[in-house]
Amino acid sequence: MSIFGFLKRKKTAPKTEDTALDQGLLVFSSTSEVIRAEVLLQKAGVSVKVMGPPPEIQSGCDLVIVFPINRQKEVLQILTRQQLRPLEVVPVSGPLMKPVDLFRVKDFGRYLMVRAANMKLTVDKETRVIVNISGGGCPDVPFLAAQLVGCSLDQAPRPRDLGHTLCGYALELALQEMERQCWRW
Amino acid sequence: MSELLDARGLSCPQPVLLTLEKLRSLSQGELVVLVDTDTSRENVIRAAASLGWQAKEVQAEGTDYRLTLKKA
Repeated sequence: MSIFGFLKRKKTAPKTEDTALDQGLLVFSSTSEVIRAEVLLQKAGVSVKVMGPPPEIQSGCDLVIVFPINRQKEVLQILTRQQLRPLEVVPVSGPLMKPVDLFRVKDFGRYLMVRAANMKLTVDKETRVIVNISGGGCPDVPFLAAQLVGCSLDQAPRPRDLGHTLCGYALELALQEMERQCWRW
Repeated sequence: MSELLDARGLSCPQPVLLTLEKLRSLSQGELVVLVDTDTSRENVIRAAASLGWQAKEVQAEGTDYRLTLKKA
């Protein structure tokens, strides 16, 4: 099973986020292509988000990129210049085409856990210190945990700078979502 | 005398969270934590270290682990 394989088992529409019909999905054959495309498009100033594929999409890997469909021509030019070609470009045309949110948030009282794909990050809400990192299965997860556990959110090193695997990428997503959740405290 | 925390059968991150709560209530001394996965063993030891507690002893007991955490 692929590293994000569990998404295949839980293809439900997101409960809290409506997907506008003016969005499109970029489907790639591998998650490494998704990560490359995300970086390229963000650098080019295109607003994108990595999510899980909707139930209707049967091809590609376990991640898709959501992008503004009115910028499709520009997006494809950016990707093509870097020899990145999506398997499909699909407009979000209805409920079954809604991408799946990668994040799950669980409140343990004093602690808050964010799961992004296959990685879990838990923070002490009172101190904002990272108390646990788990999940994955990649060889760099113990190293990432050793670097981040005990650090405050403000001072924690970025997993994207430390890790070189999909787990590192998922942990970076979890940290970003945790930082977003922090604004509510 | 050691305090005992049985965190077997709990999924991550609950063994870590229970351990942290217990360690905060004790401040110092000795705590024995029972866990049943390699991941929980490593995560509990790492979290305890972040509060200044050391894993004095790690004993495998069948498929479980008995972690003795200590802080002077």
